[in-house]
This record gives sequence, structure tokens and C-alpha cells, in this order.
Amino acid sequence: MQKEKTVYIRNEYGLHARPAAQLARKAADYNSEISLVMGDVKADARSVLEILSLAAVQGKSITIRAEGPDVDSAIEMVENFFSNSNGDY
Amino acid sequence: MAKKVLNGIAVSAGVSIGRAYLLNRGHYCLAPVQSISEELVPEELDRLRWAFQRALEGLKQIRSGVPQEQTEHAAIIDSHMMILQDPKFRETTESYIREMRLNAEWALEKGVAEVENAFNAIEDEYFQARVEEVRLLAQRVMNQLLGNHDSIKPITTRVILVAHSLTPADTVELDVSKIMAFTTAQGGKTSHVAILARTLEIPAVVGVEDVENHVEDGEYVVVDAFKGQVIIEPDQQELDQYEVLKEKFESYQKEVMQERDLPSETVEGFRVRLFANIEFFEEVSAVIDYAGEGVGLYRTEYSYLYNTSLPTEQELIEEYRDLASILHPRRLIIRTLDAGGDKVASEFENLEEDNPVLGLRGVRFCLRYREVFKTQLRAILQASQFGNVSLMFPMISGAGELRGAKQVLEEVKEELRTENISFDENIAVGIVVELPSAVMIADILAQEVDFFSIGTNDLIQYSLGIDRTNMYVSNLYQPMHPALLRSIKYVVDAGHRAGIEVSMCGEMASDPYCLPVLLGMQVDSLSLNPQAIPGIKRVLRKLTMDECSELLKRVLESDSVRASNKLIREKIYKRFPEELIFYSSMLGQEEE
Repeated sequence: MQKEKTVYIRNEYGLHARPAAQLARKAADYNSEISLVMGDVKADARSVLEILSLAAVQGKSITIRAEGPDVDSAIEMVENFFSNSNGDY
Repeated sequence: MAKKVLNGIAVSAGVSIGRAYLLNRGHYCLAPVQSISEELVPEELDRLRWAFQRALEGLKQIRSGVPQEQTEHAAIIDSHMMILQDPKFRETTESYIREMRLNAEWALEKGVAEVENAFNAIEDEYFQARVEEVRLLAQRVMNQLLGNHDSIKPITTRVILVAHSLTPADTVELDVSKIMAFTTAQGGKTSHVAILARTLEIPAVVGVEDVENHVEDGEYVVVDAFKGQVIIEPDQQELDQYEVLKEKFESYQKEVMQERDLPSETVEGFRVRLFANIEFFEEVSAVIDYAGEGVGLYRTEYSYLYNTSLPTEQELIEEYRDLASILHPRRLIIRTLDAGGDKVASEFENLEEDNPVLGLRGVRFCLRYREVFKTQLRAILQASQFGNVSLMFPMISGAGELRGAKQVLEEVKEELRTENISFDENIAVGIVVELPSAVMIADILAQEVDFFSIGTNDLIQYSLGIDRTNMYVSNLYQPMHPALLRSIKYVVDAGHRAGIEVSMCGEMASDPYCLPVLLGMQVDSLSLNPQAIPGIKRVLRKLTMDECSELLKRVLESDSVRASNKLIREKIYKRFPEELIFYSSMLGQEEE
């Protein structure tokens, strides 16, 4: 099963090294493949380097795409990650 | 014949003989490149994974040593650990072994190059810069593959530490009892490693180009921190010579130390006070151990450098107050901030100066960022009541600047009075004379300050237009250049006519070869690194003012630097045979 959800980058410094590392660590806990898609670039959420290479600065929109057995909880985790961090992920 | 002899700058005298311990970190060296046969693929993959794992464990260990309150630092290391575990990065790298049959080192190079390609397309500077971190992390893995030591911790026997550079962080990790000597590619006389080596009293030669690529781990080396040489794999005869030299130096040192508490005066009793230059609080013990009469130059930049925020007034008060009270009744001369925005806290605008040496630094920076200046002055004044404190302004180029700085000082004093905070109302105020313009108006400036301190390092650089660290022109760095000698003499005379004290705080002050000439000019005091004080005192005590005046006269009359150097060398040669061996001189070696 595949699901998608679009979120916006809200914090001042964008998806910088620290949040990218945190997200990658969390993503590794899921069986689903989680990707972050920005324009025509796709990043594997388990790869901190691919997340960083998105250069996701403030204001950009990102599509979360997940495919696998635990797709719902995976999408929820990423969505929460982006919305719960109140300015700094 | 030794395998190789490398030249550098001796920054902490002595000689040391032992095995090299190569510390290779954050510096790139060429990786061996080779194709492997198919049956070696699994082995090579294992080797790569092992190296990644070891590098990761190294980071874990560093992470566990980070104090809990340093969350920022910990987060950086966390993200570095994630990069080392990045599945895409690992997979790409491994695929070069599996599919292209490259050896692990080469595959790692290729893997990093792919990451670099991906990041080079990014426009945002922050994100683009992350690739540097990937490089540095890959170097940690590479060090494992190449068998280079990546951290100083596992030193078990006494070694000579060889490194491209040493950072203050590295030196925190050092088990100093295991280090017999340092040699690094980077660094100069006043670099952190130089100060550390002198504090530890171990020989050090820095500025040895490419030293980490010339010396192999475990090789036998001699660090000759008299001549500033690193001798790799010396032969028996050379070894014997160095053993003799080492013993001679040790007994000379002993003798010098025995005489350290004698008064610093010439044969006929002309007093020249000897103060210490220090940068770190911890050096204060050296000032006392080596019988310094106080601190003639306290460089205050360290608390400001590379921090994410500026030091608070309270932090500075504590720092200065502790120093003043430990030294009391000895004197403490605090030099106000002598740095530019590039080094001070990240909160300053990036000035992008084309030529920072001629840019916004020293008092110019302070006058632009008055609040920073005021905070420091408030701290110095409040510390002044705990000891014998003076302050001096660096980089004064004209009377207007001096008056501007003094005016801020007056404002701060007035603030403190209003707040009923006590301080030494008569705190002495001086300037560092280090710009040729200040030299030429020394008579005017002398009317408005309590003392001069001649900063010869910058004065030479600005007078002769020479950057000594630039190998193409360093031969023109001549302390005995007549222009410089006339400048110094002019400042000393102008100061004395106005009845103020004239000190000297540059490197010349610790060079026994320069000493007779400076004495001839009748400088009142010298400020030098604490460990050099007893040796200079020994030379001073053997000189007479008559011979120094005579030498100065002849040097000033000579028509070339060459002739001056020759006169001085003859003097030293005749009078100080031991110093001739144990001191490298700023005068240079070219005429021997």
C-alpha cells in the first residue's frame, strides 16, 4: 500500500543537519519505505545525506510518500515530526 | 646520513629522540588505488565495514565525553554518526567494491565523490557546506583503513607526536606524560601548540611543511628544537651527537633555573624588568615558576574566539580578577581585545574584508562595536581593585583613535561611579606601539599615556611590509633592519623624554641575540613568554651597559642588515657560547 501527504517546512533553518539526522533515525524503525519528495527530487528518509541534499529551506513543501506494511503509522510519524517541533525540528 | 631532514620553526627549545606517532586527522592524504580480484571482494567489503564501524565507535567515544550541557555539540556528533550509518552512502561505497572491484580506500573515495556531486548542485550555502563534514567523516574511515591513528588517546609508550595540526580540543585529549616532543605542519611561535609545548617544557618544531607525509608512524626521529629541524631515521653518529647535545642542554637548563631568582640587571646594576606574555589563565603558574615580575601582556582574545556568544561582563570580571589577585603584587597588563570580527563570536556580520590585517581589528573593531568594548573595559576596571592592573590598547594608528578609546574608558568609569562600583581610579593606561604611524607620532602619543609597549611582531610586519609566514618573502623579515632599529629607538627616546616607561612585548624581547641592542636603547622592561625569562635574565646579567651602548652605536652606523647581524653575531659568539647553541635567532642563519 502506498500513501502520500504534503507538509511545509516551517522552521527558520529548514531541514538542517540535526533534524535530518533525527528523522533518518526514526525512519529506520519502520518497515515501510519512506521517501521525501521535493519537486522532482526524491530522498530516502533513512538517508540523512539524501534528506540534506534536498536543501529543504523554510517555506518549501515536501511530499511524504510511504509504501509498505506499516504505512499509516509511518506517515503519521513523519507528519508529527514536521508539525510538533514548533519552529525547530 | 639521516633519511631526511625537515626544517621548521623551533618554538620550545630542547632536543628529543624517539619514535614518531603519526596523528592524522582532518587532513587528506592520498589513498592507495588498486583493483582487486573477485575472490577478494568479500574480504574488502568486510574491511570497509570494519573501518566504518571503528570510525563510528570513535565518534561514540567522543560523544560520551561531551558534557551534558553541551547539547549543541552532542547533536552535531549525533548527526555525524547518522552520516556514517547512512544506508545510501554505505551502499554506494560498497557497490564500487562489489561491481567495480575497487579496493576499499578507492571505493570510499568514489562514494564520497558521489555525495559531493549531489551536494554541488545545491545552491543553498548551508546545505552545500555539509559536504565538508562528509569529507572529514570519510577521513576518519580512511584513517582506519590506512592504519593511521585517529585520536591521541591510545598512546601507550613515550612518543614524538607528528601531526598536520593540533587543535586546543586535541590537546585536551593528550596524555601529556606520553609526549616527548611535538612537530606539526601548521602553527607559529604564538600558536596554541607552541604555548602548550613551552608550558609542558617539551621540545616542539612547528611549520614543518608536509611533515605528516614525510614521517612514517613508528619511525625514529629527532626533534631538534634549537635549529628547528626534524631528523628522520638519523644514523648512529647523528644520534650520538644529539645525545650529547641533549645532556648539555639539560645541564644548561638546570643552571639557568638555579639563577632564576637573581635580580634582572646588567653587571653594573642597570635594571630591566622581565615580564611575561600570556594568553591562557593556566599560564599564570609559569609566570611565577619562572620568576617573571608580572604579566606584561595578557592577550584577552581567547574568551572571545570562536564562541557562539560573547563572554558576559561577569565572566570577564572573574577571569581578570582571578588573574590579578593571583599575580598581586606583581603587575598585570591587560591588552584590550585585539581581534577582528572574523574571529570574534559568530554573531558579528561577516565583513568579508579583502585584507583583514589592514582591516577592522584591535581598537578599530572595539570603537565600532562600543558595547563589546565597554563590557571588557567594565570588567578590567572592576578587576583592577584586586591587584596591580594596567590596560593597554592595541593597533593605535593615530592620536584620534587613542583619544576615542580613552573617552570610552572615561564613560565607563563614570558609569561605574554612578553605580557605586569601586575600581582603581589611577589605573595606568598604555598603548601597544605596533604601527609605523604610531612610531612617527610617539612624541605626541607619549603625552597622553602612562606607558608604551612596543609590539615588534606587528611593527616589523607593517614597517617592512613582510608577512613572515609567507615563504617567498620571509627572508626579508629582518629585526635588525635599520628602519626598524631607528623606529624602536625613536619610540624609546620619545617615551623617556615624556617620562613614561617603555616596554617591549614582541618576539625580539625573547631573542638573546637582540638583547644587547635593546639594552643599548635602554628599554625599561621586556615581556616575553614565561619559560624564556630565566635564559634572558642569564644573558642580561652578564652584559654591561657600556658594551651594549657601544654595540648599538656600531649597529646604527652600519650600512646594511648583513653588517649589523655580523656585529651582533660576533658579540654573541664571543660572550655566549652556550646560547649560541641553544637559541635559534630571529636574525636568521644565512650568514654562517
